[in-house]
Amino acid sequence: MEDFIAGLVAQLDSGAMDRRQFCETVALAAMVYAAGEEAANAAPAQGFKPIAINHISYACGDYRKARDFYSSLLGMAPAPNADNGRETRLMFGPPAGQGGSFLIPRNGSIVPRAKAVVDHICYTIPNWNENEVVATLKAHGLEPTGRPGSLHVYDPFDYDVQIANAVEENAFRR
Amino acid sequence: MEAFVASKVDDYRAGRITRRQLIETLTVAAATAYTAPGATAAPALPGLKVALVNHISYTCPNFKQAADWYSKMFNLEQVGATQNDVVLPFGQKGERPFGVTANDVPMTHLIIRTRDLNARPQNGGPPRRQPKALVNHVAYTIADWDQNRVRAELARMGYRNPEVDTPYSFHVVDVNGYDVQISGIAMTALNVGG
Repeated sequence: MEDFIAGLVAQLDSGAMDRRQFCETVALAAMVYAAGEEAANAAPAQGFKPIAINHISYACGDYRKARDFYSSLLGMAPAPNADNGRETRLMFGPPAGQGGSFLIPRNGSIVPRAKAVVDHICYTIPNWNENEVVATLKAHGLEPTGRPGSLHVYDPFDYDVQIANAVEENAFRR
Repeated sequence: MEAFVASKVDDYRAGRITRRQLIETLTVAAATAYTAPGATAAPALPGLKVALVNHISYTCPNFKQAADWYSKMFNLEQVGATQNDVVLPFGQKGERPFGVTANDVPMTHLIIRTRDLNARPQNGGPPRRQPKALVNHVAYTIADWDQNRVRAELARMGYRNPEVDTPYSFHVVDVNGYDVQISGIAMTALNVGG
């Protein structure tokens, strides 16, 4: 880490990096350091090792409606200065740079260009309390379907959103 | 952290601290800033609080072909296969998701399927609504990001000219023409790209 920062200071001194870039890079390095070198250096011999969903790009007719829905219902946090009037970034999960994810609601075409479609995304809610979850959904005017511990609702664009706990939705449940 | 770094840069440029002191101070700060207990605790928000993506449901004409593509690209095992779908977890059973400390947050996984999204549900419920939104790409954070190494590995897998998004990511298309972004952990909501 010290060698890395010394290199950055040298770039700062030489003008190869401005003050803002320097500050951002050091701050980001601190996050990555905290995330653990072991996991960050676990690349396989071939292909890649995914450690998280980085982000989901969500196109719709009015990103503001999606932004408000996902932030108010699911607690996703708007990234500072990310909202440019056409799209924004909503953070969730671990902190940024430590395995955190983000959703990008954006104005854009909804015509699929691929033969595949991501037809829904399921989000894990920890400390699941069925009554509280259902009450929260209904307070937002939603009518959940599904089964206890695994519920579906539609967002403002009729996109299927699933929320679940670790028991009802995990990769090894079958 | 960023404000702290900025203040130290100002001190350095004003001659209040030496270059050596700047390096030592930032080294200690960077190594400890995000490891203090509670340093990363998020404030409570109303409503629910998402911990992680549980799974992504990917529907396509030939789920076996797509699953093989994702298995090869991301070294993912295939578990729980049925006639119509298969599950690809991001790790082994019992592993905890990266960056997560809670015990009740399972590993993110893909469910790759072949099914008719317009079919009526078997339980007699209403048909699925037609979404007026589209998830037009998904980005995956991979371990050990190194732009040159990733570029070389993509070339070895037949992607000789992947679209460069930022210094921390490339775009390719999967076997169904779906946009897949491959990113380093340094690509976050706090910097650019997407």
